[in-house]
Amino acid sequence: MRRDHRVPVRAVPSRSAVWYNKCVELLTVSVTARESAGHPYTLVTIGGEADVTNSGELRRLLEDEVAKQPRTLIVDLSGLRFMDSSALHTLLRVNRSLDRQGGIFALVSPQPAVAKILRLTTADRLIPVFDTVAEAAAG
Amino acid sequence: MYPVVLMARDSGPVPRGPVSVSYTTDLSAVRAVVHRYAVAAGLSEARAIDLVLAVSEVAANTVRHAGSAGRLEIWQGTDEIVCRLSDRGVIADPLAGRRRPSLDDLGGHGLWLVYQVCDKVELCSGAAGTTIALHMALAAEGGPRHAP
Repeated sequence: MRRDHRVPVRAVPSRSAVWYNKCVELLTVSVTARESAGHPYTLVTIGGEADVTNSGELRRLLEDEVAKQPRTLIVDLSGLRFMDSSALHTLLRVNRSLDRQGGIFALVSPQPAVAKILRLTTADRLIPVFDTVAEAAAG
Repeated sequence: MYPVVLMARDSGPVPRGPVSVSYTTDLSAVRAVVHRYAVAAGLSEARAIDLVLAVSEVAANTVRHAGSAGRLEIWQGTDEIVCRLSDRGVIADPLAGRRRPSLDDLGGHGLWLVYQVCDKVELCSGAAGTTIALHMALAAEGGPRHAP
């Protein structure tokens, strides 16, 4: 059975500092600290497939970032091929936590399968979705 | 030189052979099998994505609740593709997934999504386990696409 569905993490722009780059099965997550017009934000890039078998790990990774109380947390979904409802709930949970602590959460570039579940559940009306990281960072 | 005639008598849908796989937590492989089958059977990419989501959500319930392996069977009828998933789990609420969950619930979207994306869902659950058959019509797809 083919097990290696990991996608390579995209090159990190020179301005960014890589905090960590952790691979769990099927899923690649990288976190970088960035800045837009003087405002710092956290960029989490998720690649691969997010489902019930790894949403617990995804949740821990994202909650670690939420705990650092970023003003803005942006999740780049462009490399995510699939997301199920348990991963969606993880994103909804992050959105709620950030909202409560006055932070901003945004999603970027969901691909068709991921865009579909966001649309069907109307999660894309609750969480802002942008085409590019630059647009999300500009708010 | 011999003439090669493909699909000579019937340009309509040709049923593909059934597929049967058991799964535990290898849901990515399950999704890959379903997507490949659906596209080969002539389902559009968008509807193949829907079917993959539905199968994955049902299989996720197996992982979460059934405490046993699940079985996925896929077959193609003349005008539809069917994915049937069986496991030892029990769904006690006959209306499970029929009501739209609130986004505040942070849960309960799995079966609801299944009902949203499939053309027909048959759910049968009892002490022996649960069987869910997901139907996707091929009629509106403009004919099947056959692998060479």
